[in-house]
Amino acid sequence: MKTTTARFASVVSKIQKQHVQFVLMALVVLMLVLGAGAPVEGGTIGH
Amino acid sequence: MILGLAVIAGILSGLFLARWKKETWQPPALKHSWLVLVFFLPQLLAFYLPSTRNLFPDHLVPASLVISQLGLLAFCTLNWRVAGMPVLTIGLLLNLAVILANGGFMPISTETVSRLVPPDTASKLEIGERLGASKDILLAPDEIVFPWLADRFAPPDWIPYRFAFSVGDIFIGLGAFILLAFPAGKAASIQKGSINYVNQPDF
Repeated sequence: MKTTTARFASVVSKIQKQHVQFVLMALVVLMLVLGAGAPVEGGTIGH
Repeated sequence: MILGLAVIAGILSGLFLARWKKETWQPPALKHSWLVLVFFLPQLLAFYLPSTRNLFPDHLVPASLVISQLGLLAFCTLNWRVAGMPVLTIGLLLNLAVILANGGFMPISTETVSRLVPPDTASKLEIGERLGASKDILLAPDEIVFPWLADRFAPPDWIPYRFAFSVGDIFIGLGAFILLAFPAGKAASIQKGSINYVNQPDF
């Protein structure tokens, strides 16, 4: 338990503001692409 | 999903190219990103969230989709100078044009649908109806305005993942790939294993 907690704390401490901004920017581009695009998947038809 | 793959491919390519050049990858510096968050929301509710998309009234879909895409178009215009954005914008305009011309939905013909689903599924679909919770509406080929801009392309039959896409989707995927694989700006410093922002994204 202590080892797991220590590992988790170590990972969290390495998350920098830039990493969060990177993820947010990737999400922005993804939303832009999904919003602008209009492909349709066969699996969604008939459901 | 297919456009999501373009985003992933762009990011991976950008990271690979940066590493090859021994530089730090810089994501594109996009301004007014809040526009995307705000104007994607209607589409998130109407098409993507399982808990809301089946409850979203069909008669509200056209207006929601068009307003959403106009907002995204404004964002693209404000970021016109970012590499890849002009290509993506062209794709958005092509999709918006065919959607506006066909009552606020992306048209798909009966012929194209027959390439996506088994015959017994296709036979249960009605012309003039929205396809599930998608942006598409099923139309007869001669009823589609701007048919070459509609969802008319599908991958070869030997690919099990079946989907249809438009010319606009091609431009959008390409533009997104360029946006992420070849972002403008140079790294301020070379730092292995970290991300350094030269141009701070503006939210």
